[in-house]
Amino acid sequence: MLKYVLKRVGMALLTLLIITFLLFVLVRIMPGNPFPSERMSDEQIANKRAEMGLDDPILVQFGRYMAGVLQGDFGKGTSLYYGAPIKTVLSTAISNSFRIGGIAILVGTLAGLALGITAALNRGRFMDGFCTVFSILGVCVPSYVFLIFLQYNFAFRIPFFPYFFDPNRFLFSTVMPSLSLSLFTMSTIARFTRNEMVEVFDSDYVRLAESKGLYGRKLVLRHVLRNALIPIVTVLAPLVVDLLTGALVVEKIYGINGIGKLMVDAIAGEGIDYNYVLALGILYSTLYIGVMLLVDLLYGVLDPRIRVSAKAEEG
Amino acid sequence: MKKLTAVLLTAMLLLGCLSVPAVAEDAAYLGVMLGTNVMSLDTNLATDGDSFEVIADCIDGLTQMDADGAAVPALAESYDLSEDGLTYTFHLRDAQWSNGTPVTANDFVFAWRRIAKEAGEYAYMLDEIGNIKGAAEIISGAETDLTTLAVNAADDKTLVVELNVPVSFFPSLMYFPTFYPINEAFYSSLEDGTYGTSPETFLSNGAFVLEDYTPGTATLAVKKNENYWDADRVKLPGIRYQVVGSSDNALTAFRTGALDVVSISGNQVSAAENDPALAQNLTVTGAGYMWYLSFSQTEKNANGGQLANNNLRLAITNAIDREYLVDNYVMDGSLATYTAVPPQFASSSTTGADFSADQDMFKEFVDYDPEKAAAYLETAKSELGADEFTFTMIYGNNEGDEVAKVAQAIKEDVEASLPGVTINLQPMTKAERLDKMQNDNYDIALTRWGPDYADPMTYLGMWITNNSNNYGFWSNAEYDQLIADCTTGAYITDYDARWEAMYKAEALVLQEAVIAPLYTKSQANLITTGVEGIAFHPVALNRVYKDTVK
Repeated sequence: MLKYVLKRVGMALLTLLIITFLLFVLVRIMPGNPFPSERMSDEQIANKRAEMGLDDPILVQFGRYMAGVLQGDFGKGTSLYYGAPIKTVLSTAISNSFRIGGIAILVGTLAGLALGITAALNRGRFMDGFCTVFSILGVCVPSYVFLIFLQYNFAFRIPFFPYFFDPNRFLFSTVMPSLSLSLFTMSTIARFTRNEMVEVFDSDYVRLAESKGLYGRKLVLRHVLRNALIPIVTVLAPLVVDLLTGALVVEKIYGINGIGKLMVDAIAGEGIDYNYVLALGILYSTLYIGVMLLVDLLYGVLDPRIRVSAKAEEG
Repeated sequence: MKKLTAVLLTAMLLLGCLSVPAVAEDAAYLGVMLGTNVMSLDTNLATDGDSFEVIADCIDGLTQMDADGAAVPALAESYDLSEDGLTYTFHLRDAQWSNGTPVTANDFVFAWRRIAKEAGEYAYMLDEIGNIKGAAEIISGAETDLTTLAVNAADDKTLVVELNVPVSFFPSLMYFPTFYPINEAFYSSLEDGTYGTSPETFLSNGAFVLEDYTPGTATLAVKKNENYWDADRVKLPGIRYQVVGSSDNALTAFRTGALDVVSISGNQVSAAENDPALAQNLTVTGAGYMWYLSFSQTEKNANGGQLANNNLRLAITNAIDREYLVDNYVMDGSLATYTAVPPQFASSSTTGADFSADQDMFKEFVDYDPEKAAAYLETAKSELGADEFTFTMIYGNNEGDEVAKVAQAIKEDVEASLPGVTINLQPMTKAERLDKMQNDNYDIALTRWGPDYADPMTYLGMWITNNSNNYGFWSNAEYDQLIADCTTGAYITDYDARWEAMYKAEALVLQEAVIAPLYTKSQANLITTGVEGIAFHPVALNRVYKDTVK
């Protein structure tokens, strides 16, 4: 097992390096200028480029950049938050996006599972229909529309929650964005849980378990849900990354300084901020690869057959 | 399911109880909307209006703006100008930084040397505009000895600045944040790159001190500086800034009372005008910058340089209905503009008259007159020997809600009045638009320029041969000579003659349709009843709160 894990981690790191290099090259061929200026002379811009080492061969630049990154130095912004180290800006954005996204994932997954299980257990009855309608609504209504609805009702008409995100009242101002972001996850998970469970309920091994006298919680949790969880984990993984990396529109409407907004500012702001785009790209990729790695390992826990095949691979 | 709902509801309630609602003193603070995040509080690095506003809340320069935008003393109690107009001696008043150390002449020397060394966006205020001796050499990188910059501290309270040529508006440059002081000892005590990134790493000497700020956050707060040299003047206990991304959100935030001062645009302006509860709160102020069309006149573009034809450019210039444009698409009180220098920001220091008050002055060249436009086009057609023209017009898709509509309207106007001319629209980010213009890779661009200082030269200076903002690559020896005379030559000591020469220069720009002026942007603001005394300016500092009461 350990060898399997190590191999996976190694692959993940290599993928990350390749992605970073591609990003490094791509961002440099994008149209636009890292020093957006209407007032600097060509000479000044040339000096700035030289200072940043942009005229060196690309591999030299990349080597220097990676050496910095390994020491936790992502450089400084060229068109965003000039002068301030990227680390400072990024850490605030990460903590905001992670906390809001994290709560959204937690609420969305738990509520989605509960809804899905309820629907599956009440197949064909009212709760099932309710769950289906709710899921469709949840998938169709964009989270920011729901946020505007919440903002209008619970911050404007009944001024209970703050109208904008207030970092000094973090918990309080997290409720509305988290809730709106959790809607999509909730619906997706509910739908998948219901369908998978219904399928598993119809499978031979559950019928066999039932005929052997298993019923109730034990049957549902150990045999049905556990087997239904594998596809759910697969859909959940990209959702987790999406939510953690911030939801641009929700961030913009609620005034949250999160990662999504930062990425857009870095690309479509006054100029193209090479260092921010790269730092965020590395963050996105790390998260995505990390979550995928986790999912692979989780499969092993959930499904013994995968563990066996991993062993076979080792042997 | 019931259980789950109950658990969730309880959790939400608990969450509600955990956080204490609104900080008590908050209500007395002025809630102000910012359009974008504050990019930097480092005076030497900041480049955007929002950053400048917050910096000016916290730091005073040698001079400050009065309600009309004229330069009046701030940290400099007075100044002397040598007879040849080349040496300014500023006498500083007793003022202190928020860490208790006195503000000295050396704080200016340190900051100005740093601007020249960093050579960023606004370094040009030092050499090209301010004409400070020694600045150009350091900024270009030719000179590395910073002491060659002719800015010196004669003693703690006396700052001496030497210029290459007399600059009549030099005192009014001094209220621009780039020229604000930085305390050297404090700056040097900080880790590299951390200056101005938190209340702890920032020093104030102005009306407010920084209370709450992290780079990248959508909120920022400043509170009254009790040790400000003019503290009695400041009535507000503090200002709470909030970045709001969209105009409709700004309107709702204003309605909830979450913010006292917001900017709105487009449909929200007419919504506010038609809402009796809001109409009284609506104030339109000049935002300064002018939108115009830039034409590339090189052979590289426009099908081998068709736009080098003066009549073709004049045809387009006269085919655009600017009044309709501002009334129906921009909709925030912006002014249709027929001059190369927009109104509202530069007035004569002898007569006090706005340089561009008379918008009919150049109607001969810039107008909405489809017949005249068609006639110009006919001449252009025979001169160029072509009947059909197709041009691409680039514009930014992240430069404001109205820009795409304006671009579309221009296309429709031109194609309706000028048969045979087709304009293809090409939206892109502002960064890409600038990149294309700087590399001369466009036909027509919808672009803008905001005044950096209160003199017509902030616009006219752009069209001289080889200026980096002369994106059309227009060149005219007579024009170059006129501008040289106004900036470094014959007219610099004769104020009225200079003023007249600038009109002559402006006439040349418009006669040759170097640009097609479109409109001068206004800002529609909603201000809570009872809030008074916000000074709005189209140049340098857009909003100043020193006299504001709430």
